[in-house]
Amino acid sequence: MATLRSMELEINGRQHALTLEPRVTLLDALREHLGLTGTKKGCDQGQCGACTVHVDGERVLACLTLAVQAEGRKVTTIEGLAQADGALHPVQAAFVEEDAFQCGYCTPGQIMSAVACIREGHAGSDEEIREYMAGNLCRCGAYPNIVSAVRKAAKEVA
Amino acid sequence: MNDFGYSRAASIDEAVALARQPGAMLLAGGTTLVDLSKCDVARPNALVDISRIPGLDEVRLDEDNAAIGALATMSHVAVQAGIRENFPAISESLLLAASAQLRNMATIGGNLMQRTRCVYFRDPAGYSACNKRDPGSGCAALGGIAHDHAVLGASDACIAVYPGDLAVALTALEAVVRTNLREIQIRDFFVEPGDTPQRETVLEPGEMITEIIVPRSPLSANSTYLKVRERKSYEFASASAAVGLAFEADGRTIRDIHVALGGLATKPWRALAVEEALRGKIIDEQAIRDVSRLAVEGAVAQGANAYKIELAPRVVARAILKVGGIQ
Amino acid sequence: MSLTELNTKRGDATDGAGPLGNALSRADGPAKVKGQATYALEHKVDDALHCVIVQSTVGAGRVVSVDRAAAEASPGVHLVLDSTNSLKLRPQPDFFGNWPTGEEYTPFASDITHNGQLVAAVVADTLEEARAAARLVRVEFEAATVVATRDDPSAGPGNPVPMDKDWGDPDAALAAAEVVIEATYETPREYNLPIEPHGLIAHWEADDRLTVYEPSQWIDGMANNYAAWFGVPFENVRVVSPFIGGGFGSKAQALPHSAAAAIAARMLRRPVKLAVTRPQTFTAYGGRPATWQQLRIGATRDGKLLAIDHDGANETAADGTFVETLGVVTSMMYDVANFRSRQRIVPVNTVLPGAFRAPGKNPSAFALESAMDELAVELGIDPVELRRRNEPEVDPETGKPWSSRRLLDAYAAASEAFGWSRRDPRPGSMRDGHELIGWGMAVGTHPVYSSPGEATVRILADGSVEVLSSAIDMGTGTYTILAQAAADALGVRAERVTVRLGDSRLPRAPVAGGSQLANLMMAAVHKTALAARDELIALGLNHPGSPLRDRANTLFISEGRISTPRGEGLAVEELMTATGREIIELSRDTLPEADRSSDDRLKLFTTVAGMERGTNIPVSRHSFCAHFVEVRVDEDFGTVRVSRVVTALDAGRLYNPKLADSQFKGGIVMGIGMALLEEGVTDPRNGRILSANLADYRIATNADVPHIETISVGKPDYDATPLGGKAVGELAIVGMAPAIANAVFHATGKRIRRLPIRLSNLI
Repeated sequence: MATLRSMELEINGRQHALTLEPRVTLLDALREHLGLTGTKKGCDQGQCGACTVHVDGERVLACLTLAVQAEGRKVTTIEGLAQADGALHPVQAAFVEEDAFQCGYCTPGQIMSAVACIREGHAGSDEEIREYMAGNLCRCGAYPNIVSAVRKAAKEVA
Repeated sequence: MNDFGYSRAASIDEAVALARQPGAMLLAGGTTLVDLSKCDVARPNALVDISRIPGLDEVRLDEDNAAIGALATMSHVAVQAGIRENFPAISESLLLAASAQLRNMATIGGNLMQRTRCVYFRDPAGYSACNKRDPGSGCAALGGIAHDHAVLGASDACIAVYPGDLAVALTALEAVVRTNLREIQIRDFFVEPGDTPQRETVLEPGEMITEIIVPRSPLSANSTYLKVRERKSYEFASASAAVGLAFEADGRTIRDIHVALGGLATKPWRALAVEEALRGKIIDEQAIRDVSRLAVEGAVAQGANAYKIELAPRVVARAILKVGGIQ
Repeated sequence: MSLTELNTKRGDATDGAGPLGNALSRADGPAKVKGQATYALEHKVDDALHCVIVQSTVGAGRVVSVDRAAAEASPGVHLVLDSTNSLKLRPQPDFFGNWPTGEEYTPFASDITHNGQLVAAVVADTLEEARAAARLVRVEFEAATVVATRDDPSAGPGNPVPMDKDWGDPDAALAAAEVVIEATYETPREYNLPIEPHGLIAHWEADDRLTVYEPSQWIDGMANNYAAWFGVPFENVRVVSPFIGGGFGSKAQALPHSAAAAIAARMLRRPVKLAVTRPQTFTAYGGRPATWQQLRIGATRDGKLLAIDHDGANETAADGTFVETLGVVTSMMYDVANFRSRQRIVPVNTVLPGAFRAPGKNPSAFALESAMDELAVELGIDPVELRRRNEPEVDPETGKPWSSRRLLDAYAAASEAFGWSRRDPRPGSMRDGHELIGWGMAVGTHPVYSSPGEATVRILADGSVEVLSSAIDMGTGTYTILAQAAADALGVRAERVTVRLGDSRLPRAPVAGGSQLANLMMAAVHKTALAARDELIALGLNHPGSPLRDRANTLFISEGRISTPRGEGLAVEELMTATGREIIELSRDTLPEADRSSDDRLKLFTTVAGMERGTNIPVSRHSFCAHFVEVRVDEDFGTVRVSRVVTALDAGRLYNPKLADSQFKGGIVMGIGMALLEEGVTDPRNGRILSANLADYRIATNADVPHIETISVGKPDYDATPLGGKAVGELAIVGMAPAIANAVFHATGKRIRRLPIRLSNLI
């Protein structure tokens, strides 16, 4: 029988009470149990970055994080990035302006990664942005525009 | 994934006690264990989350050593000024590994314990033969396409490569793995597969890594980690080398040098023959290139991985040239 | 009245004025960056169960038995399906015309023709339960001899495909040629790998009414798949796909796993959600097959091509035909008087290969453009100059004039921007420390295809506009450019236009493939919007309530205002209010006059019968590009990094240069991966895909991609398409791999004829 466990997760500043098997990943908890489908599943094995979220302010992969491991941590997803009035975060705005995506499926992960990349101080040059964004695959090949968007947003955030 | 139980340990003692449950495994960052559970390679019945045990995530530096807590994350360790300045090979090996996201998750202790990327090992549905997963079942890699497999330290039972980067740097820097029970020299920590490839380290049941101790020296401060791979980032090594080098007072004669190889062997591989041949010598590019060939003494190719035998000495040579200030 | 007289002007590829041709940001951008774009598996469907598929672990043979008991007893499991207990469907041909054998069809195989074939499925309450139970399904196989790849000696030479191309006397010309280049060029299996894996939610709302949420490059084609399988009317199947997380050719048909989910949902009378795992995607459908091409090129000493003899082959499945048309670029790129092309397919135990970005064109150009570089080296002629000397006046295959071909402009623009004139042709002549630097170039091309389309345009009472179509946007910009087309024709701002796509209830559209969708839908929407505009003007001129009635004999609409030539006017919404109109709604199509019956329409939109590849067109229609590439090769490690790319492209008129440019760059990026990284690796013993994940099958990361400069040299080509555009989406990947291979030769003196170029090739 499934071993269910009650847990409370703080996501985008809101508490969510859940009863889940410990084997449920944070990614599946978000997508299947909380209706927060902005976080994407591209490989489910730590090889594409589409599921990037922030846990306690640091970018991590939700597919290799068990939901229960996030108990007591602050989780931020793409849905929690825009301001309360709906205004886009500067990174989101830069992604639109620079056309830093096509199909859009890797985009939430790219943006969560980019926000962290800038915060970490790893957006100092195009070369550095490329390396520190390398964990987010984009099959549409939007990389040059992603670099432009991160560079642009880094200036605005600074 | 197995329908496993989950508990959170508040102390090392509690972790060790909980780990005695049948089928229990320790969970830290999860980047290996959750992944392997999805592949059906790991089939834990219970996970013991050690990630919140206090005091194990610190990096301390004193006059003699760095002490790196087993639960410090890769990204945290990599950016510590004390590590960057005194152990550049460690910092570089961490930053060249995985991706920024994975480095934020993975811990130092877990990093040492990461499992091979052997495609046959990782595919139990497709390959029942894997001595590492299922002792005595055979080795599907032998006779298969072994492009990424080991040319050093392999046995008839297993040719899987140890995939990590950090452990290669730690091997060159002669780190010590401290557990709840004892201290283990890194050269003794990893074991070659031999007839028992399921056993990858000397850790015993009930034993848990708590800290890595790395001795400070001029050699550690003048060290580097060089990683070669097809993709520029986010890929395991085709071949890598960690080198630490200390000169005599003349600034030319090699007093001591340590060389370790990654991506080539069944465990982080110390190239003692290269070290011996260079110790006491005055450095010169051609000599280094010649001597670096000793790094692959005894290497055996399995067809598709033959390129590694050609590549590895070049990686070693370039790493030595770099820390030797020649290029 | 010309379609283009209104607010658009002729001129450069980008008009730069008026909604059409403007570099507007992506209309669906805000939704995508906020995580609010709803992809297939993200539709909220209550009570959905989770389905996980089980694939074969042998490469050939048959299923002896499936022991479902353990899985059925596993917690949360509702159903375990295999070929014996599955609902039987009506056999249907796949996209490529292959029919399954037998009177009945089940997506679960009993005869195994490839490793990783669908054999069973488990349906459970939760994803975790379904996944765990799937591992308990015990399938006993009787394995047969596997022919894993064409390298297996028993694969044999394969079967000829009747697409011979012959003109002149190539044997005689080659025998007489002063110089002959002869070589074989190979590409490995390559996988589409959209970052959104395949999957669907199947929901039977009644026994004969199915709604499917599934990523789709072809809504109507897929709806027809389901209707035919289950024997229900086409109208009873609704396929919903407002956003597609990439397709690259792989999402144009319903696949075996699609049928599995629909069957499970039907049998359980519950919605079923099925997500193909990333490793499973490598065998749930096929990517580009492995190809190999032998080329012989004869030329004079001064670089005039005399003959091309081309022999191409690709792998196909043991039980189905897929042809990667390798002679397509070879036959039209250069002026050559003597030509022969042959094509073979070699059946092996693989999933049926499929369409992957620029099928045929891409590997075809790899061979031809590598060989041209070899010829340039042999002759000591600059590779650009060699190509200029062989620029054809007309399409050498058909003799038809080009609708437009601005390749000479592309050479000039790109070589200037790149600094090509400073190139020392000697291999290894440039270096920077341990890095050998090489400069190479190659050309790419893609044909212009066309099909009919339908559209509905609505002008609403508030003056806003809606455009409706079952066409799709997989990042190609359809939402944005169709708004621009409607805005342009109607004289309103593009932001006032809402485009609804990706639902089979909307007016029909053909497959988003062959880089055809933008051009054909722009034509359909523009035509429909013009009709709506005429109706609006008629309303203004004639309606008793219109303030403009009898104030003029014609009216203009601009910036959302309808006015007389003297400037007297009012906002569109004011006119709607004044005349009491809630809506103006019109539908138009671009169907041939002869094909307007209901059956004709269905056929035209659910098969590729309506796709015009050029036979009935008096001109030869193609896009072109010229890639100039710099690589840096580490002299010790053999690692190749692309450090600079300049590409000039002639894709006709660009409806939105910002979005077109993204596709150009995307093709270039994919070409970098193709040249240096991407390789499907198959176990020769059992046909299992060893690279079935995103670590072992490497695609380019951000770090692998340098600054890319693109230059559009295209101009509106109204002989190609009604609004002057040509092929965009698939163009720029073509020619990228040979440009890199040629640059690697220039850096190292090593000619690599088998992709990808790995470090082991260069050390």
